[in-house]
Amino acid sequence: MRVSRVARAKSNRYIRIVKPRKSRARAVVSVALLLVLCAFPAFAQLTAQQKQLNLASFEAVWSAIHDKHWEEKPAGLDWQLIHQEYRPQVEAATSTDAARAVMRDMLGRLHQTHFAIFPAAVYQDLDPSGAGDGWPAFEAHVLNGHVIVTESLIPDSVKLGWEVLQINGSDLAPLVAKLQTDPAVHELQLERAVAARLSGPIEALRPMLFADAANARITRDIKLIPPRGNFAGFGNLPPQPVFFQSKMLGNTGYIRLNMFLDLVRVMTEFGDAVQKCAHCDGLIIDLRGNPGGIGGMAMGMAGWLVNRQGLRLGTMYMRGATLNFAINPRAEAYAGPVAVLVDGSSASTSEIFAGGLKDLGRARIFGTRTAAAALPSVITRLPNGDGFQYAVANYISEGGQALEGHGVIPDVEVSLTREALLAGHDSVVDAALDWIRKQKESK
Amino acid sequence: MTRFERITLLTAFAAALASAPVSAQDQPKQDLPKQDLPKAETILDRFVEVTGGKAAYQKHTHEKMTGTILVPEVGMTGNLVRYSAAPDKEYSSLQLGPLGKAESGFSGGVAWEKNAITGPRVKNGDEKAQAQREALFNAQADWRKVFAKVETIGSETVNGEDCYKVQVTPTLGKSETQFYSKKSGLLLKTATTAVSPMGEIPVEVEVSDYKTFDGVLVATHSKSKMGPQHLEITITDMSFDQPIEAELFELPAEIKALADKAAK
Repeated sequence: MRVSRVARAKSNRYIRIVKPRKSRARAVVSVALLLVLCAFPAFAQLTAQQKQLNLASFEAVWSAIHDKHWEEKPAGLDWQLIHQEYRPQVEAATSTDAARAVMRDMLGRLHQTHFAIFPAAVYQDLDPSGAGDGWPAFEAHVLNGHVIVTESLIPDSVKLGWEVLQINGSDLAPLVAKLQTDPAVHELQLERAVAARLSGPIEALRPMLFADAANARITRDIKLIPPRGNFAGFGNLPPQPVFFQSKMLGNTGYIRLNMFLDLVRVMTEFGDAVQKCAHCDGLIIDLRGNPGGIGGMAMGMAGWLVNRQGLRLGTMYMRGATLNFAINPRAEAYAGPVAVLVDGSSASTSEIFAGGLKDLGRARIFGTRTAAAALPSVITRLPNGDGFQYAVANYISEGGQALEGHGVIPDVEVSLTREALLAGHDSVVDAALDWIRKQKESK
Repeated sequence: MTRFERITLLTAFAAALASAPVSAQDQPKQDLPKQDLPKAETILDRFVEVTGGKAAYQKHTHEKMTGTILVPEVGMTGNLVRYSAAPDKEYSSLQLGPLGKAESGFSGGVAWEKNAITGPRVKNGDEKAQAQREALFNAQADWRKVFAKVETIGSETVNGEDCYKVQVTPTLGKSETQFYSKKSGLLLKTATTAVSPMGEIPVEVEVSDYKTFDGVLVATHSKSKMGPQHLEITITDMSFDQPIEAELFELPAEIKALADKAAK
């Protein structure tokens, strides 16, 4: 819990939210140091201080794997020998880039995902400072390299399908292009970097430039408003806005949650929503953009959707413990068709939930492949300013598939498109509704 | 099974939700030849004596314990209360930060739990056996009724203190290892396995800060390691034979419904 994939939390395991918007680690790195590091050309000789920082970074990376990898011999390797092999290479490195390359090579020996080092400059792009809780009353996602409005609570001002071109005078396209070309940056991290730029202090006014349906440029001064939902924390995790929505789409229930947090409230509302839907044609659970949270909530929610004892979503393997994600069926469990919507930003607990229900044959999955980030992982700042991500557990879905690095592949792959959004349609929801309708007709 | 084990096992599920992998810690081993070790029966009887004597235990019929719990890795804190009564009734309630309220109990042969995640649940199999053993009142004093076999298997240090290592095999549930101070005779550590639908989780509990409550010496602080997770529990108050509401041990309605359904 734990660890942060959780925003700003340092060591949680069961909280698996992927990208910290602002880690505590960054606070301990002085801005001056970053400026100095960034000011040096890549080929410049390292100062003694920089060399020491790189060595300290190497030790931090090596120790994290040694102490926290779920296998005592990570990937079957003698990690002590790895230290002997790589430390001299870091000592001999003549630049931070070279030292980083050595550390990346060391991590590469694991042949496992979610072990990555982000250069300080990229890390800053991923983790912009100054973000606040305010949001612009619309959501935007990267579709085909463009930041497109996918939901708008201010349709008179900002419409579905518009492209967001600039925020505060800064073009988004270069940021998106830069992050998309870095193989270490996953879709989830890209989306969160974009979302961070859309956010800011509540009440702040953000000038934004859009392209409308005809690609005409439109400027709007968007006032950032308080986020949807209730703020909820978890242990060391600072409060996060947790949004839960339940509504009917015709005779189909629709549930959406942005995080698996605020456990008591969300579990209660989820149970209430399922019970109200006892006679629905189907149930849609929308986990798009949901980066995860408390792993146990996936088990609890699944309990409202299965009526057989002895089932589980999967198994998590950690150092010293193996945990089954067992499902306790509720007496009032829903028995009708269930569609789960996912995308590349659905991570961790979302993947455990969607992947497990898919493996059990209990839900049909719609959308795009998930983030493949099912493991609790940490993103910390290294002494040299780079970002370091490492996983601390392995998770195998009930079907025998490791979600990490693979993700959940939808039964029905369908993406949002700008054209459909401009026409007022969510093509993923439409596909799920169509399937539920056919299920009803086939009876 | 110690009070702390009972509480620790109660929190197994909640804690697992917030578990944090850590490195396993090796125990220093200083095994002696078996013939030099005292009999386990002697060690267990000595514990009863140094903690008040059997008579002190047996004069009580029910108890209430209150305390606090800390999950240091995630910075979560909570409160707990546990009631138990002879011969084998138990009810525990844990309020652990954002995980909400988790209740469990054993009464009328039914072991159960209820929390915000899983909802109500009746325990079966090894899990039920474990709960039933945890519910036995004065189990430490009446250890001969609880354990089918006890054996001294070695010596080991616990936090620098020499201990006898005793393996106890209960009539119900899984065996465990207990570590008794050679010097004081007090129990300093247990190692067992918590059983839950999430699997079997190794549990190590180190106890300390023994204090006397109504003639019985009780450890009031524990540090537990459950697989990857650490817990700290502090008993803040303990009372014996104070009036408690009889319905406290009654099965909650939804548990009774589940138990009745399972019995059909």
